[in-house]
Amino acid sequence: MTPVIRTRGLVKRYGRLRAVDGIDLDVRAGDVYGFLGANGSGKTTTVRMLLGLVLPTAGEVELLGERMPRAGRRVLPRVGALVEGPAHHGHLSGRTNLSLIDAAGPGGSRRTRRARIEQVLEQVGLGGIDRRPVRAYSLGMRQRLGLAAALLRRPELLVLDEPTNGLDPQGITEIRELLLELNRGGTTVFLSSHLLAEVEQLCTRVGVLGRGRLVLQDELARLTAPTGATVVHTPEVTRVRAVLDGRVLGADGGRVVVRGADPAEVNARLVSAGVPVTGLALQRPTLEEVVLAAAGTSADRVEGPR
Amino acid sequence: MIGVELRKLFRRPRTWVTIAVLNALPVLVAVLLQLTDLAPRPGEGPPFLSAVLTNGALFPLAALAIVLPLFLPIAVAVVAGDAVAGEAQAGTLRYLLARPAGRTRLLLAKLVALMAFVLVTVLVVAAVGYVVGTTLFEAQPTGGTTSVSGTSLTQTELAGRSAMAIGYVTVSMLGVAAFGLFFSTLTDSPLAAALGALAVLVTSSLLFTLDAASPIAPYLPTRYWLAFVDLFRDPVLWRDVVRGLALQGVYVGVLLAAAWANFTTKDVTS
Amino acid sequence: MAARGRLARWAAVALLVAVLVALPSVVAALPADDADVPAADLRAAVLDGADVGFSGYAVSAGGLALPVSDRLTAAADLFSDRTLMRVWWRGPDEHRVDVVAAAGETGVHRDPGGTWTWDFEAGTATRGLPASLALPAPPDLLPAALGRRLLSEATDDEVTRAGARRVAGRDALGLRVAPAEPASSVARVDVWVDPASGLPLQVEVYGEDAALPALDTRFLDLDLAVPPADVVAFTPPPDATVLTAPDTEGLIAEAGERAPDVSLPAELAGLPRRSFTGVPGAVGVYGRGVTLLAAVPVPQRLAGGLREALTASPEAVTDALGTRVAAGPLGLMLVERAGGPAYVLTGTVTLDALAEAARQLPGAAS
Repeated sequence: MTPVIRTRGLVKRYGRLRAVDGIDLDVRAGDVYGFLGANGSGKTTTVRMLLGLVLPTAGEVELLGERMPRAGRRVLPRVGALVEGPAHHGHLSGRTNLSLIDAAGPGGSRRTRRARIEQVLEQVGLGGIDRRPVRAYSLGMRQRLGLAAALLRRPELLVLDEPTNGLDPQGITEIRELLLELNRGGTTVFLSSHLLAEVEQLCTRVGVLGRGRLVLQDELARLTAPTGATVVHTPEVTRVRAVLDGRVLGADGGRVVVRGADPAEVNARLVSAGVPVTGLALQRPTLEEVVLAAAGTSADRVEGPR
Repeated sequence: MIGVELRKLFRRPRTWVTIAVLNALPVLVAVLLQLTDLAPRPGEGPPFLSAVLTNGALFPLAALAIVLPLFLPIAVAVVAGDAVAGEAQAGTLRYLLARPAGRTRLLLAKLVALMAFVLVTVLVVAAVGYVVGTTLFEAQPTGGTTSVSGTSLTQTELAGRSAMAIGYVTVSMLGVAAFGLFFSTLTDSPLAAALGALAVLVTSSLLFTLDAASPIAPYLPTRYWLAFVDLFRDPVLWRDVVRGLALQGVYVGVLLAAAWANFTTKDVTS
Repeated sequence: MAARGRLARWAAVALLVAVLVALPSVVAALPADDADVPAADLRAAVLDGADVGFSGYAVSAGGLALPVSDRLTAAADLFSDRTLMRVWWRGPDEHRVDVVAAAGETGVHRDPGGTWTWDFEAGTATRGLPASLALPAPPDLLPAALGRRLLSEATDDEVTRAGARRVAGRDALGLRVAPAEPASSVARVDVWVDPASGLPLQVEVYGEDAALPALDTRFLDLDLAVPPADVVAFTPPPDATVLTAPDTEGLIAEAGERAPDVSLPAELAGLPRRSFTGVPGAVGVYGRGVTLLAAVPVPQRLAGGLREALTASPEAVTDALGTRVAAGPLGLMLVERAGGPAYVLTGTVTLDALAEAARQLPGAAS
């Protein structure tokens, strides 16, 4: 598959601080890519380098097959972005804001502008918006308007930084549905977030950033693949140990982890021995466990000298 | 792009408030002058003000002379300082650049919008001055207007020279606009950028009065501001007008180049 | 990568600034073509060029702060300020000189019948008659007029050549006048002349031991075509207040009558007395060319005011002879002796020469 975003040895140094330290991103067409990282791990700096806002100290960025920031004028019209929250001119209406941003660069045909604006407003759930200035919008409405601006030219790639910020649970579900629908239509989505649950529900591929380095980059399905063990919930842990001698890897309250990738076989042995089984599942690591294992401590933690 | 910047600027209420406030001072001066009939003594007060009592058609020029030293540059510095830094502060700059607006194109569009702002402001001041002047004072007693050199100018000549003066004052403000624009690319605070441009102007005005600074006086951005008076001498004294235009051109060129060098290589982190 | 691009762009801007900053000094440093013209010939060319018509823009800057009373500020400002003048010259009695100020101008239009003085800010047009003696006025400070006046009485052995320089975009040849009189406070006068027309383009007056000229007047722009007559002529505008200037001849005659009746010596401080038309007999003018000394007996009531003005100057020297002060090459002395009349001595002479002259003045009416 063709890479939609590719970086090689991407470095950004601020003085002696290496904010981004040699990142090799690989986002393929059709991905919903979850870009995970704690606050201060270099996520935002990386996103800004992808869009040509921050110029890399070293390394290369390729967007839709072309070098950034050199080819920005050709590439960026095909990219929709939401970086660190929406921003609009508060004294103008939402429609005027969209019209201005569309007219500010290439690739936004004046002829279709009005229709496209109405369409994206409809898509993000602002179809009935009036002439109120953006100043009077709620946080959620502004977030939706920011998303509308990103969708205005039906981009091939969406780069979204915390897109569900400020939305209520219904709003989050709506936006998630919208992104999945766009993705089904062929849009690649690059989603930068620190909300593991959001990424876990949306993404097909995940990259994890820790202290400026890409510590993990893989298919979500592979990361959370079964470990080869089975989790058994039972009120009688000691009897499980007795029945499955040597196969118990660990026990915690009523939860016993048993070696064996076939829950049916485990169940059959326990039930035949008369051990009550209240729950049974293949063991899969959660994304949280994967990320914590890979990234270590939070970057905004400041340790005292020991 | 330029159209976008013009729409942003002129759909902004603050722009028109600034222009309105700018007009308040000349109108106040006109009303006081009408009520008291006290012309400034020769050598004091803004140019043309003493002549207004006998000829109201000169008030647009007096109004320009009133706002030129301080009010107009402040207004221009504030709007220019806001050009890039204001977008950065509001966060809209990153969306403009990711659109992509192109950094050089954005700078040029901002400069053109600033020029339009200066021109509109000067035109409004002149127009309000004309209306106020001709209503409060005698329009023209004998048909001709007396030039600074004591010759008579016909209405056509006066209109032509007034138009040139408006153009000259507009160009004079471009230096301020360029300073504001340059500082605006250095900082994310519109206030700091405007204050920076004003600091340059205050320094320039101060040095201009200082004998020790006379070697650099011809290069001070405020040096030729009052040369629009020369357009009303007969024959017109072009020397300072031409130099004023050239100097503003140099300032705009250099500062735009500096703004370009800074802005096109700058990390936008706002 | 980004850092290198940044550096390159800033370097380009720095280069642009450097070129622009260097440009004026490079243009100023362009050498002027010197021509092998003897000093005497150049001086003769200047004296012959009195009828050359021209128009231009001149600036005169003086460092002569005269401690004089308020009544003479207009004349005193001429020597202490920067005066910008536009001039249209068709001849000695047909020309126009506008003193340009930031907010107005004062124009003097000379025609054969007299002068019109237009003051824009006051809105007045003043008609005056040609006078043989008047206070220094802006036209007197034009390089052309001043240079010619200072060269007219110089002897050939006082005048030497002094290289060439560019003035108002023209190659000007230098003439240096070093006055021979020991009493003179003027070290030298440099007159820079356009050799083709004989028009002085710049005049610099240097006091003794002074690196900077005490008076520097030069053209900034010059056009050597005779200006049209309608630019020089003046008709008072309809809304102007038309005034008539006080009759200076009458005033001077009156002042001469009121002055204490003294007879001045034929020589003061080694300078011979000379006569000018229009100068009343009570006023003695001594010297020649650059070195001039005037002796004027003054009534006691005027002397009091002048003494206050003089003693206010920190450099004033007061002794038994009176109070004297120098402003650059210009000396001014109030001579007061018990029982005798008071005199004002002024001119381009040293303070020592002023003291010597004071001793030679007659003590009382004879």
